[in-house]
Amino acid sequence: MKLPQFAYEAPATVAEAVDLLADYQDEANVLAGGQSLVPLLALRLARPAVLIDINGLDELAGVSVTDDRVVIGAMTREYMAEESATVSAAVPLLAAALPLIGHEAIRSRGTIGGSLAHADPAAELPAVARALEAEFVVRSRSGERVIPAADWFEGYLSTSRRPDEILVEVWFPVAGPDSGAAFQEVSRRHGDFAMVGLAVSLTLADGAISDARLAFSGIADVPVRAAEAEALLVGEEPSAELFAAAARRATAAIEPPADLHGSSEYRQKVAAVLVRRGLRAAADNVYERQ
Amino acid sequence: MTVNGVRRGGSVEPRRTLADFLRDDLELTGTHVGCEHGVCGSCTVIVDGRTVRSCLMLAVQAAGREVTTIEGVASGGGLGPLQQALQDSHGFQCGFCTPGFVMQATAFLRTHPDAREPEVREALSGNICRCTGYQGIIDGVLLAVQRSQH
Amino acid sequence: MTQIAAQRYTGTSVKRSEDPRILTGSGRYIDDVKLPGMLHAAFVRSPLAHGRVLAVDVSAARALPGVVAVLTGADLDTMTVRGPDPMVTFIGLGGSGPDYSLLATDKVRFVGDPVAVVIAESRYLAEDGCELVEIDYADLPAVADAASALDPGSPPVFADLGSNIIVPRRRTELGDVPGAFAAADRIAEFHLDVHRHQNVPMEGRGIVVSPGAGSGQLTVHVATQGVHVARNGIAACLGLEPEQVRVLAGDIGGSFGLKMGASREELAVAAAARALGRPVKWIEDRSEHLTASGQAREESFDVRAAVSGDGDLLGLDVAMVIDTGAYPVAAGIVPATIQMMLPGPYTLPALGFESTAVTTNKASYISYRGPWASETFVRERVLDLLARDLGLDPLEIRLRNVAPRTSPPFMMVTGRPLIGVTTRESLELVARMADFPAFRRRQAAERARGRYLGIGVATFIEPAPGPRMPGAPSVMGTESMRLRLAGDGVLTLFTGQMPHGQGHQTTLAQIAADEFGVPFEQVRVVVGDSDLVPAAMTGGSRSATMAGGVTLHGARQLKAKVLDFAALLMEASAVDLHIAGGQVVVRGDPDSAVTVAEVARRAASGLFGAAADELEVEASFDGGESGWSGGSHCAIVEVGVETGIVRVERYMVAEDCGELINPAVVEGQIRGGVAQGIGAVLLERSAYDQDGNYQSGTFMDYLLPTACEIPRIEIEHLETVPLDPDVNFRGVGEGGMIVAPPTVVNAIEDALAPFGVRIYEQHLPPARILELIAAGGETG
Repeated sequence: MKLPQFAYEAPATVAEAVDLLADYQDEANVLAGGQSLVPLLALRLARPAVLIDINGLDELAGVSVTDDRVVIGAMTREYMAEESATVSAAVPLLAAALPLIGHEAIRSRGTIGGSLAHADPAAELPAVARALEAEFVVRSRSGERVIPAADWFEGYLSTSRRPDEILVEVWFPVAGPDSGAAFQEVSRRHGDFAMVGLAVSLTLADGAISDARLAFSGIADVPVRAAEAEALLVGEEPSAELFAAAARRATAAIEPPADLHGSSEYRQKVAAVLVRRGLRAAADNVYERQ
Repeated sequence: MTVNGVRRGGSVEPRRTLADFLRDDLELTGTHVGCEHGVCGSCTVIVDGRTVRSCLMLAVQAAGREVTTIEGVASGGGLGPLQQALQDSHGFQCGFCTPGFVMQATAFLRTHPDAREPEVREALSGNICRCTGYQGIIDGVLLAVQRSQH
Repeated sequence: MTQIAAQRYTGTSVKRSEDPRILTGSGRYIDDVKLPGMLHAAFVRSPLAHGRVLAVDVSAARALPGVVAVLTGADLDTMTVRGPDPMVTFIGLGGSGPDYSLLATDKVRFVGDPVAVVIAESRYLAEDGCELVEIDYADLPAVADAASALDPGSPPVFADLGSNIIVPRRRTELGDVPGAFAAADRIAEFHLDVHRHQNVPMEGRGIVVSPGAGSGQLTVHVATQGVHVARNGIAACLGLEPEQVRVLAGDIGGSFGLKMGASREELAVAAAARALGRPVKWIEDRSEHLTASGQAREESFDVRAAVSGDGDLLGLDVAMVIDTGAYPVAAGIVPATIQMMLPGPYTLPALGFESTAVTTNKASYISYRGPWASETFVRERVLDLLARDLGLDPLEIRLRNVAPRTSPPFMMVTGRPLIGVTTRESLELVARMADFPAFRRRQAAERARGRYLGIGVATFIEPAPGPRMPGAPSVMGTESMRLRLAGDGVLTLFTGQMPHGQGHQTTLAQIAADEFGVPFEQVRVVVGDSDLVPAAMTGGSRSATMAGGVTLHGARQLKAKVLDFAALLMEASAVDLHIAGGQVVVRGDPDSAVTVAEVARRAASGLFGAAADELEVEASFDGGESGWSGGSHCAIVEVGVETGIVRVERYMVAEDCGELINPAVVEGQIRGGVAQGIGAVLLERSAYDQDGNYQSGTFMDYLLPTACEIPRIEIEHLETVPLDPDVNFRGVGEGGMIVAPPTVVNAIEDALAPFGVRIYEQHLPPARILELIAAGGETG
């Protein structure tokens, strides 16, 4: 399980990285934290001609906040976001999901941008980004564009980033004071990729749900918003009956993939359980945050 | 890079992992390679104060960094307090996973000097041991916590 | 024994002398061996479960810079002596052995089957070379399970066998089987499945072979459970005399039955090194390990049980099929041991047993910790199923059927005496530990709140090494040891035991220090050199009795020899002398002390004549009376009925392995075994699809338990029943792994009793739990 041969580039600036991507296009893989890409290399399932290592791009690491958005640099390590007071105050859903990613030594290296660009549908961050409709800022020689989460995830391990583009930052909306969040998942072991996960964000106004966001991991080749269930929730007061109805609505039409760890039927059942639990936990979180 | 306080260097292929570089080029064979895909934790080392899987990091990425391996945990060739507590608790059996656990626990105790059992279990859950059922390891870490508080 | 109790090392948790080296990274494992000019091997492996090899083109690989050689199966055929697998030679197959080459030549028989080996300047380059070897295969239908293999129309995995049945159905009847079933109030029938899982030590296999310059002598460094097993296998394969091969082993990163040091890959590496005249290293990586090192436990059982209305087990009739995978080595010994052990510690008066062994296109079935474990699963599962049908408590049905401890001892229907077995005591103890009545109250209260807790109990006995039969020369052969006292006062033990986590360098030193009379630190235990240590191996839970016993007797013999010399030196009668704290003392005269080092130096000086220059003995031990280990385990689990997630809340063990040498080492063995058993039920499976494609080739697919899945394991030890005047240490390596699976499954079924769930299988991942609940709800 030794890595195959590749040419190696370690740009010092984003501009250099962009130039390299323009030159190599899809012959190159971008190496961020490496927690997914290096295993694929070791198994020789990834065979890039060139590896563009962006770990030297310090300009892409960091968390900042404006009035309505939290800006997270693509090379912000997961542990940095986990320790960030800004993230925990302004993006509670992200804060809830981060400790569930792998293990401590994985989060030491793994990056926010790397996980979202790798786009593993079983991972936590894509579901968070989808639930919150985060925005992805990519840069190429021809400039920057901003891609909404709904358009970012295109398929299994596939995004709308073009081969000459680099993900530079991700924008998350600042959570309002009457909102609560929860990330729920069921995995075979502590720290594993979940068989099914659910990102939930709820906002209450005058005791009723004014905004509901639910996004699943692990039930399709991309993270999936449960739009019909969200619509059912909005305008209603939180209750066990409501949450059960939302769970039925959210999972009635899903057809999750089967693998060694769980059948499609299993994932569907568990998805419904997670909706009920996740809504309950998110509603509780509203009151905790108030 | 600085390894266990000593400046070390070498010229390597970019594809060489930090684990292989430490073991073969620097002959620091205490770092063990158990899965080469980032799951088992045997190859855990500390880079700039945080634990990493050295099988998931390229050697070239450690340039300019400060690396601590199992060989650098205790000074003078003896056992440090955590290692002593692990011996006293009969923490390990075959010893293959041991360096990874010692590194992970070393870094964890720096930030959690008063850790309790559930936190210790969670902190070590990224390291796999096939021999012990973990109890001796957990007890050793808890014993080190207890001793450090007296 | 003249020493006062406080000075004894035996029976106390002496800190392991292995630990300072392993805790500082100073251990020396096989991958740490680095020799001048050493090359690295990697194997080209079959991507197909079953296929014909049409052509192998190695030219591109040979042309790659850094690649030194590429050897195909055909190349190796000319370099080696064809013969049965060394493991077959070692344990016997029990049927007709197929003929096959070291690496695949005409056919590949499982995904991962080695076809060629690339030798290069680095492992990176060797793997690059493997990718350049081009092989044309013709796909054959895979024989992916036992049912297919039993079908006479299935394509034979080995042409020379004509079918896929390695050992045809054999039936044995012990006791009055028809009578038992005729007398039964109730006859229950079950089909039980045990799933394929595997050893997975944290270190894989590995070997470094160094050809001696011109001498034909090979030096082999290898991870093995016995240096002589490896030596004999390698020598036979290369057509050498055993003495021409020296096998060295250092620290070993676990094995659990896997590592013999003479597997097909290891033999190929030895042949390659010899041919190339340069040292060659092969370190099995995790992917190779999971795919190709071997797997175990895939058996199915049709069980008929005859039982009285009160729960007396009158007879069992069991038909077993074992799926031994490709290149079978375990087809004989596993069914034979399962048959022998099936009655367990119970009075079972009649047993019908038949077994069939088949070969399939999967990795070879190899030995894994407690190779006969399935019999315990079957028996302990059947008892719970019967108890549930009869409305009996699981503890009650066991206590009702446990054989009494009588003199002469109760004989198992399979012919071995249940001497010294404390099953009744361990069941009662573990029930007290768990507080069954209190648990039942809590269980009822929690069920009312929608939480499903369950309790499971199971019991086992382990022939570790087993009782001595009247008139038999020994139980497990003999064990030898060389012991030497040197001029520095160090007592050195040379043992053929090959520790791989068990801590022999500590435990044997404890026994020797006590018996000989020196401080623990003054005893050195030498292992892992076929030129220095007597032939033996570590396995089958033999060490405690056999190696512990020979240590005790050897130390006693050497002490007598030392005292004879000391008597001359000290002008005293040997009977008046004793050794304590490393000093020879005349009883009642503390001022007379002379160190054992001084005696050794004076002896070596020739002071007492030529015969005196070596204070060394060769000891051997036949096992004495030996005996059983055993115990009872109890698990309390919570089953999440919405997610199928099982959490083991408490796990309790009441264990009897005779006299404890080092309680912490014993407890470590038990806990490690239990963790593997919990893993087998909840997480671990060597999965193949219906085409024989392997599904569990990474650690993201083959799931080992972590510190978050394994609970604290509470252990109490039982008072031993001494059988032998001197040696009552018994093995404890396998029991945890043997009995944990039925313990956990019994607890899960108990938790799901309100759903009417009955469980007939061993592997219960969350998705399966929900299926069982759904099915139980329909029928129950």
